Order: sequence, then structure tokens, then C-alpha cells
Amino acid sequence: MSVTTVARAVTAEPESEPVVRRRIGRGVVYAILILYSLIVFVPFLWTLSTSFKTLPESLLLTFIPQNPTVQGYVTAWTQLKPALPVMFFNSFLLAAIVTVTNVFFGALGGYAFARLRFPGREVLFLLVLGTLMIPDQLRMVPVYQILVNLGLVTPGPQNYIGISIIMAISATSLFVMRQFFLTIPYDLEESARIDGAGFFTAFWRVLLPLSRPALATVAIMSFQGTWNGFFWPLILLQAQQHWTLPLGLSQFRFQYSTNWPPLMALDVVATVPIVILYLFFQRQFVSGLSAGAVKG
Amino acid sequence: MLGIGRARGSLGTERAQEALAGYGFIAIPMALFLIFNIGALFYSAYISLWRWEILGPTEFLGFRNYAFILRDDVFHIAIKNSIYYTIIVVPIQMAIGLTLAVVVNEIWRGRSFFRAAFYFPAIASSAAITVLYIYIMAPDGLFNHLLELIGVNPLGFHNQGNWLGHSDTALNSIIGLNAWTTSGTMMLFYLGQLTAIPTEVYEAARADGAGPWTTFWRITFPLLRPAHYLVATVSVIGALQMFDQAYIAGGSGGDPAYSLMTMVLYLYNSAFRQFEFGYAAAVGIVLFVIIFTATLVQRRLFGSSDWQGAR
Repeated sequence: MSVTTVARAVTAEPESEPVVRRRIGRGVVYAILILYSLIVFVPFLWTLSTSFKTLPESLLLTFIPQNPTVQGYVTAWTQLKPALPVMFFNSFLLAAIVTVTNVFFGALGGYAFARLRFPGREVLFLLVLGTLMIPDQLRMVPVYQILVNLGLVTPGPQNYIGISIIMAISATSLFVMRQFFLTIPYDLEESARIDGAGFFTAFWRVLLPLSRPALATVAIMSFQGTWNGFFWPLILLQAQQHWTLPLGLSQFRFQYSTNWPPLMALDVVATVPIVILYLFFQRQFVSGLSAGAVKG
Repeated sequence: MLGIGRARGSLGTERAQEALAGYGFIAIPMALFLIFNIGALFYSAYISLWRWEILGPTEFLGFRNYAFILRDDVFHIAIKNSIYYTIIVVPIQMAIGLTLAVVVNEIWRGRSFFRAAFYFPAIASSAAITVLYIYIMAPDGLFNHLLELIGVNPLGFHNQGNWLGHSDTALNSIIGLNAWTTSGTMMLFYLGQLTAIPTEVYEAARADGAGPWTTFWRITFPLLRPAHYLVATVSVIGALQMFDQAYIAGGSGGDPAYSLMTMVLYLYNSAFRQFEFGYAAAVGIVLFVIIFTATLVQRRLFGSSDWQGAR
């Protein structure tokens, strides 16, 4: 790309009319960049600002709170039922479980689909990819009915088992891991196998330590997806004390319909962990996305 | 490939062991896929043939659930809303996504910053984003304040500045919301394809004296066809399944006045408000058929490699 920039600069030098036109082009480009950056960030900064405002000020056009207060956070912490820390814990617990299972089953299954030969392998893998065509909404009723039959829908901690089973492994996680394992040369595990290691040992000791980038992608993808998840928690988390943050937000939005500061405080708490992850693992977010494009 | 260099044991046992290990490794994930995805699909079709309430099946209805669906006025509203939403939001997302991609691709310094920034709204949860948006679009919210700032009186509109609270503007407001959150994703898809266009193509165009505008429409845009197809497919599927935003903004009733009643919200209500599981399963099948058809139509229109549509 830098070559083109140089080439442009060189070819642009002699004639003056294209230079002017290019300047205008640059101006338009930067205008769009700045304008859209504002569109992206202002709503988030506005939310952050409101979370530190008093209720009357939350209705005014002030970007920096005049009398900054943490009352919104205190209210969200003490008044909500379930309390904010409870929802935070619930969200974290669910996201952690689903991340671990996706990483483990994704790696194990991806390894088998990429490197072990067994009859029916291709058909089974196509079946896995085929599940990406089935929208969650279509599965909603039958999955609910199956979980009812298993006794996992009656209010209680077992609701988490139900959700975890449904989200334990996604075809995307499996796909990402398989694609990664296809790129690793076979010699490594071959020599481990010759040394007498079993298939699982070869996978666990030799291949898994090599696959950190792909594992990180799957982990980030699963954590973000579950932390943000709304649909299955809405259907399956029956008792209020088991609500996750998105579920709490959707309910308190009516309860606190015009009491913006605590609502925005809750919004900030629900979003900040993902923002921090994004700052550190931007690459994984994006590579997970392109794998998810298979899903649509 | 795997067999090379294997000295120990007979080849047969080695093979059998490998296959056994393979089945063992995929056993749990495969069981989950078979039960909760593929099994669920067939189970859904089965449930849809029954009057099936919270305690299970009570009466065999055959295809009558499907007939009930087609006769329900609210379902018609839901279909109309979902299709309207899709037809409007998809081109907007594509246009913004493409514009952002082209613009980000133009710059060298700060490129990764802007790419990361524009994707930013997509990382937060739909719930957090929707609640944030409800606040911004409230009568006393930021949006109306900004309108006032540029001299437009929001009270002058027939919705009195209550964008999500008025049935004429609620769905359009949600379109604005999702155009905002999803365009960054579309930008990333477009960027992937843009960087794959060889620079010689542009150099040749410049040598022919083509300006940036002509270059874009005559060269970049047609060469991006695989990206158009991917982006269109992804956003149509997403748009037809829109639920979270409608539910959080308008409640399960899709308020006000069913203006936010989407197909999936209708499905959710049939199952978890009315507890008509048989009926809801039938709605799910109908929805699946609609999404599947839309995907096939798009593939026919844009996906095949020999497509040479008007430029």
C-alpha cells in the first residue's frame, strides 16, 4: 500500500488540477472519518457522563457533569433486585463456563476433524457446519421442551446447566479450531506417537500448546457472545436472582424508565468488561468475526 | 499422510485405534449438535403438528397450526414489519459499511485506529446498546437536544420528539440503531475484500485518466461483488431475526401499537406469553422457510460466479 501512496505522490506532482482534486478528496475522507468517529463515540461518552450525573441533570445537554456524583452507581448497587454485583457474577459465571467448554470441546473436536481419520468424518463435519443454518429461534421451542423434560427449566441454579448445555459448543468454535489444526505440520505429533504417546497425549502435550492463537480467538468469541447474550437467558433463567446483566437491563429499563443515572450506571458496568477485552484482544475479535461470517 | 512413518503395530489396529480416538474426541460435541440442533429441527416439525401446550401435546392438528398462523392479523403485522425493516436496514448498513471501508482504506496513518473505532459499537451487548439508545432518543434525550441546537424544534414533529414512543417512528428508530451498531461489522467484511484488489488495477485506471469517482463505480464497486454478496446475506439473515432491540424497546407487545412486533418477537410471544408451543413451533418453521428462501434468492441474484448484471 505504501508503494501506491508513493506512486500517487510521484504521478500527482506534475499536473496541478488532479492535485487540487486530490486535496478535496483528502478533505472529504478526513471529514467522514471525524464525523463518523463522533457518531460512534458520543453516545457511549454520553452514557458514561450520565452515569455520574444527578437525575435532573441527566435531562440537560451537559457533556461534563456539573455536580459529579456516584449516586447512580450506589442506586444500581443497592436498590436493584437482584443487586448489581449478583448480576455481574451471574454474567461472569455463565460466560466463564461457556468459554471453557467451547475452548475444550472446540479444540478436541477440531483436532479430531482435522487430523484423525475415521469413517464418516466429512459427513459429520458437514452436519456440524449445517447447524449454522438453523436459527436459534427455530430451536427455541424444541430445546425448551427438551430442557423441561430434563427438569432444567424449573427455577433454580439448574437453569445454568440448561443454558450451558445449549451453548457448550458452537459450530464456529469447532470450525476455527479445525481450520487452525489443518495448518500445523504432521511431523510433531508423529514423533510423539512414535514415542508411544496416545492420541490424547499427542493432542494435549504437543498440539494444544501450539494452538494458543486459535484458542484465544475461540475464548474471546465465546466470552463476548455469552456475556452479551440475551435470547437464551431470557427464555431459560427463570428466577430473578439468576438474571444476567443484559436480562437485568431489559427489565430495569421499564422499572427505572426515566431514572437515567442508575440505568446508565448499569449500562456502563455491563459494557466496560467487553471494552477492556476489546482493547487488549482486538485481533481475536476480528478473526472470530470472519470465522463467524460462515455463520451469518 | 498420517500413516507414513508408522512402524509399530499392525496397520489395521493402528487405523482402528485412530478411528476410535476420533469418535471419542467428537462424541460429546457431536451428541450436543445432534440433539439440540438437528434433533431439535425435526422435533420442532413434529411439535408444530400438535396442539401442544405447557403440559405437552393434547390434540393432533396436522397442518392446522400453519393455517391459524396465516389467518392471524398480528402475524401479518409482524411479517410486514420484519420485511420493511430488512429492506430498509440492509442497504443502509451496506452503504455505510462500504463508505467506511473505502475511507479507511484510503488513509495510511491512523488506519488501524479508525478500523477499531468504527467496529466499536458492535462489541457491546444488544441490551446495553438498546437501553443507551432509548435514553438518547427519549423526549429529553441527546438526539432532541442536538436537533434543538441546530434550530429544529423536536416538539414540532407529530411524534413530539418521542421517537421510540410513537408508532410512526419506532421501527425507523430501531433501523437507525442497528445501522449504527452493525455498519462497523460490514466495514470489516468490505475491508477484507478491498485490500485483496490488486493495486495494478487502480494504476491502470489512473493511467487511463479515470477520476476517483469513476474508478470507484467502474472498478472498485464491481470488483467487490463477493463482499456485497457476503454482507447482504449476513445482514438479511440478521435483520429477519431481529428480536432483542424490539423486545427491549417495545416490550413483548412490540409497543407502541405493534410497531415493533417482529416475526421473532411474535414467535417468542406465541411460546412464552400464550404458551402455545405447537403454534410457536409452526411459526418457527415458517420463519426458517422465509430466511432460507431469502438466502437462496440472494445466491441466485448475486452469488453465482457467472453473474454479469448491469453495471
